Amino acid sequence: MPILNTKLYIPPVQPKIVHRPCLVERLNEGLHRKLTLISAPAGFGKTSLISEWIESCKSPTAWLSLDEGENDPARFLTYLVASLQTIKTNIGAGVLGLLQSPQPPPAEAILTILLNEITAITDKFILVLDDYHAIDAKPVDHILAFLLEHLPPKMHLVIATREDPDIPLARLRTKSQLTELRVIDLRFTNTEAAVFLNKVMNLNISEDDIAALEIRTEGWIAGLQLAAISIRGIKDITGFIKSFTGSHRFVMDYLVEEVLQRQPENIQIFLLQTSILDRLCGPLCDAVQSNSNASGQDILEYLEHTNLFIVPLDDERHWYRYHHLFAGFLRQRRQQNNSTSKRYEGMMDEKELHKRASIWYENNNLETEAFHHAAAANDIEHASYLLEGKGMPLHFRGAVIPVLNWLASLPKTALDAKPLLWVMYASALSMTGQITGVEEKLQAAEASLQNVESNDKTRNLIGHIASIRALLAALNNNVETIITQSQRALKYLHPDNLAVRTAAIWKMGLAFHLKGDRTTAKQAYTEAISISQATGNIMINISSATFLGIIQESDNQLFTALQTYKHVLQLAGDLPQPAASEASLGLARVFYEWNDLETAQHYGQQSLRFACLLENSERIVPYKVFQARLKLAQGDASGAASILAEVEKSVQQYNYVFRMSEIAVSQVEILLHQGNLTAAEQIAKTQKHPIIKARVLLAHGDSSSALAILEPFRQQMEEKDWKDELLKVMILQTLALHANGEKEKALKLLGDVLALAKPGGFIRIFVNEGAPMAGLLSDAVFQGIMPDYISKLLAIFKVEEQKSEYAIAHKNTTSLPTNQTLIEPLSQRELEVLRLIAKGFSNREISERLFLALTTVKGHNQKIFDKLQVQRRTEAVARASELGLL
Amino acid sequence: MSNKLKPKTDPGQQMIYQIRLKGHLDHKWTDWFGGLTITLEKSGDTLVTGPVSDQAALHGLLKKVRDLGMPLLSVNHVPPGQIDASNIKK
Repeated sequence: MPILNTKLYIPPVQPKIVHRPCLVERLNEGLHRKLTLISAPAGFGKTSLISEWIESCKSPTAWLSLDEGENDPARFLTYLVASLQTIKTNIGAGVLGLLQSPQPPPAEAILTILLNEITAITDKFILVLDDYHAIDAKPVDHILAFLLEHLPPKMHLVIATREDPDIPLARLRTKSQLTELRVIDLRFTNTEAAVFLNKVMNLNISEDDIAALEIRTEGWIAGLQLAAISIRGIKDITGFIKSFTGSHRFVMDYLVEEVLQRQPENIQIFLLQTSILDRLCGPLCDAVQSNSNASGQDILEYLEHTNLFIVPLDDERHWYRYHHLFAGFLRQRRQQNNSTSKRYEGMMDEKELHKRASIWYENNNLETEAFHHAAAANDIEHASYLLEGKGMPLHFRGAVIPVLNWLASLPKTALDAKPLLWVMYASALSMTGQITGVEEKLQAAEASLQNVESNDKTRNLIGHIASIRALLAALNNNVETIITQSQRALKYLHPDNLAVRTAAIWKMGLAFHLKGDRTTAKQAYTEAISISQATGNIMINISSATFLGIIQESDNQLFTALQTYKHVLQLAGDLPQPAASEASLGLARVFYEWNDLETAQHYGQQSLRFACLLENSERIVPYKVFQARLKLAQGDASGAASILAEVEKSVQQYNYVFRMSEIAVSQVEILLHQGNLTAAEQIAKTQKHPIIKARVLLAHGDSSSALAILEPFRQQMEEKDWKDELLKVMILQTLALHANGEKEKALKLLGDVLALAKPGGFIRIFVNEGAPMAGLLSDAVFQGIMPDYISKLLAIFKVEEQKSEYAIAHKNTTSLPTNQTLIEPLSQRELEVLRLIAKGFSNREISERLFLALTTVKGHNQKIFDKLQVQRRTEAVARASELGLL
Repeated sequence: MSNKLKPKTDPGQQMIYQIRLKGHLDHKWTDWFGGLTITLEKSGDTLVTGPVSDQAALHGLLKKVRDLGMPLLSVNHVPPGQIDASNIKK
């Protein structure tokens, strides 16, 4: 998404203004609160006041001028990050990546990451959101409310708007977190009006006349400004004021007329014609003008010099805009000129003006604005062309709202005449999460395509329709539909339509992966990677590569998987990149399997850096399972068990069968390691996974029943070609055969297992099986089977044995004493928080260290206090020491 | 914004609204108000009266009024049959 720097530009203090020290003082005084709200109609000097304040205030300030485009939450967040980057470079870089990923997380998770990064800004700073009345989308209001709820202490928010925003203002008021400036505060007082008219504008107006103007304009600053401009250079000031105050005519209407009349005719025409532009620069004005005897740049500078309501948008005197109020009245006048008797000769009609603007913008590669003007010119043909964006549609590039607004304004006949528009409509709608309207638009597209003869373009549209259906199916996890629609999409989409192809292939890969067809998934991911490299779509590249790594890992190709995961981290770059968390987890698993527990821990911690993205979702399960297995390997079985108990509880509600199974398999291993057969049996009753049942049977000594379960399961795994599961089954089979007295068979199978495991360098999968496996391996060495590999494994067994003997001998000093004297034991997370409390860290420091939201930490505190039956931190620490928890 | 896929409302069933603004706007403003009738009152108020297709259109109109800084005094729904010539003053 291209960022318009003019939206981030901090308006400089205008030369001819009245300084308002009392208001500035109030703003300064409000800095220690969360929010300053400046809510008043247009023309009351909101922006000027804030500029004046910022200049004197010396706090770093970020500015964002909002428009209707920011009603798209993704675009709002993007611009929010961009504005913060003017204060601290690279802040939120990972967040920007997430916003463009194929499965963006919810806005609140993204905000939590951003807020944690903002906490690192050490100086008090200000964020100004100007023109907030442009926002009417609930999701964006929610983002703002969330931001205010969790506002970092060094951040102060200023909102300037024409209507009160839809956020919990009352709550902020009662908590004294709000400073408000409203019309009553912003109106010019009599004194200020006098200073403005006589000192700043250098007019010579009597006290009575000033009072009359003040009453007529009611202190409306824009009105007084225009009045002053009208008065400049006229001789009969009193006469003017008498007419003005004696008229009922609406102030702005009267004064704009006055001011216009006094300008040379070419300036009048310039003002009226360029009023259609949201922002102006010299060359653009020249392109739009019909009778340019003066250059656009010269006229703009003249307007700036005469203070005629023109506002610079950068320091280079390149871009400007009209004051919104002034522009509005100019537009009304121009519209009037169209319909009634033409007052001005040679003035073009509105459509022509917009067409010229559109062409200029297009020639200067500003496609979104070109589209805006083509749409305003009602040039459906050209607007459609621009919308398509030469293969990368505009709504993929941040223009969702303008595109939707335009399409919604078209009559049905126009849409039917151009099936492309129906498809774009469906596509843009699906991006805003308004899924209900999408299918009906797709059907309308198909209906209108029936009347068109088939060619490359129509085939491409059919493909695009299928890809949108795949997207809808993905939202419902409807795997079969995703596959059929994605395949259809890839069949019909134009080979050059890389943008849509990439998304379709990626989805198809995911669907096959979910279905268990790893081979096809692998092919799809590989293709998605190469296409996304061609289109520069880093996010799909990262996602596809990560999933490819996961498949390689599950094919036991650990070295290849390692390379793939490392490549992903490289792609993600130096900056903390939430999108690469799963790749870090993959690396953690590989190093764990190779028994390099330190490196595994490092990558494991890295992968959890953005854990808040996964909180409250079943996606956290693989991370927790890894953590538990690592703890087990480090000798902390009870620690491992509590991690899994906690995640099982929090994920039960989602009822994802295979996730629960994932957890249970590891739980059983831990329980059997601890010798807790009863609990393991309990799990085996509810969880149907064959490996769980087989382990419990083996622990009972019932090796023949175990074998009976394992053999059919092994055949299944061979059929599906799930190599990782196959390896696990075969290992259990060797142990079962040995326990069953079939030593020869066991050793032969072990030889096969080792041959399969060697290329991947597997270690822990053997070591985790403990003494029985060690015994088998020793016997195998005597038979000359893979001596090098086995000696390596046996050496590690020895080290493990020594470690656990040491642990048993020093049981009282190991890190996790009993949690069991409490009625309800503290969870793993709660223990972590408690330890940090004991070390004297504040809640904020704890939230930073554990990468949690502040409210989450407070929630944990409350639970800890409840469980320990105390009221405050000092008591909690004391009680925990008593219980030997610290 | 109105949804063009739904059938248009029957003009006979459209709601009539009257908006009262502070300050006079002359009749050249009719087009800007989408063809609604402009009446200037001696009090200095302007009445803008006429059919509005739906709530969204009404809010759009109020937004336009807001953005030009025109003080909004009242918005009233006019039951059919209450508008007649004697209401119009010059």
